[in-house]
Amino acid sequence: MRNATISRVVPSSIPRPRVVRVRGRSMEPTLHEGDLLLTLWGARPRRGCVAVVHLPPDRAGADRPVSVKRITGPDPVEGSRWWLDSDNPREGVTSFDVGSIAPDDVLATVVARLWPRPGKVSTRHTG
Amino acid sequence: MRLPALFSVTDVSAHCDLPCGVYDPAQARIEAESIKGIIAKVADNDDPDFRTRAVLIKEQRSQLVKEHLWVLWTDYFKPPHFEKYPNLHTLINEATKLAGASGTKGQFDAAKADELLSKIDEIDAIFKETKQA
Repeated sequence: MRNATISRVVPSSIPRPRVVRVRGRSMEPTLHEGDLLLTLWGARPRRGCVAVVHLPPDRAGADRPVSVKRITGPDPVEGSRWWLDSDNPREGVTSFDVGSIAPDDVLATVVARLWPRPGKVSTRHTG
Repeated sequence: MRLPALFSVTDVSAHCDLPCGVYDPAQARIEAESIKGIIAKVADNDDPDFRTRAVLIKEQRSQLVKEHLWVLWTDYFKPPHFEKYPNLHTLINEATKLAGASGTKGQFDAAKADELLSKIDEIDAIFKETKQA
């Protein structure tokens, strides 16, 4: 089900840099439509980080696009899985909608915004 | 490192999706406030036509309160929420009962409307905490 082109970008365990562009508003106010981000593909996520993730398919069985989300921490029930949230509480699919994701579904971690306003995209600890 | 991968840009989605993810107990509260207003207006009005309309509209608004709360219960709140707030099921059950035939739907009792509003506020407090988490 995974987007084959993207998963093949990281054939080994060494994290690789890649530039991605944000589409949509679910990560406002941290990230905005059109932001260019430096990401590390294959990097291990940490609690509170922003990550590029593979979401479960929707109810109709269709793949969801590769997405950028906040990893709030481990799933409270299944500690080996990650819980996702959007930074914008009014938008976006989160683990409250689709459940937590397996470690392999975390494709990359977001390191920094390259444009506009270059800067580190920091981790945030919530609840 | 594969340079083409670094210099090509991949779109990553931060989009809304269905279900849209927009939920707010404010919807239920507005209907409950409307019910309270209807009860107050009927108390000052003996016109039979007005009272008939008030009965009908109060019935509809009470049903809307139930439906908005059910949507929160089934679509917004998830197992981790129910685990963290064990009284949540009971709160929603009590609130929807207060909007039913034994509550604002079947009676012109301002106290029932106030009870309903305070139950919705309790649900809203939990909702807001889950949004901050």
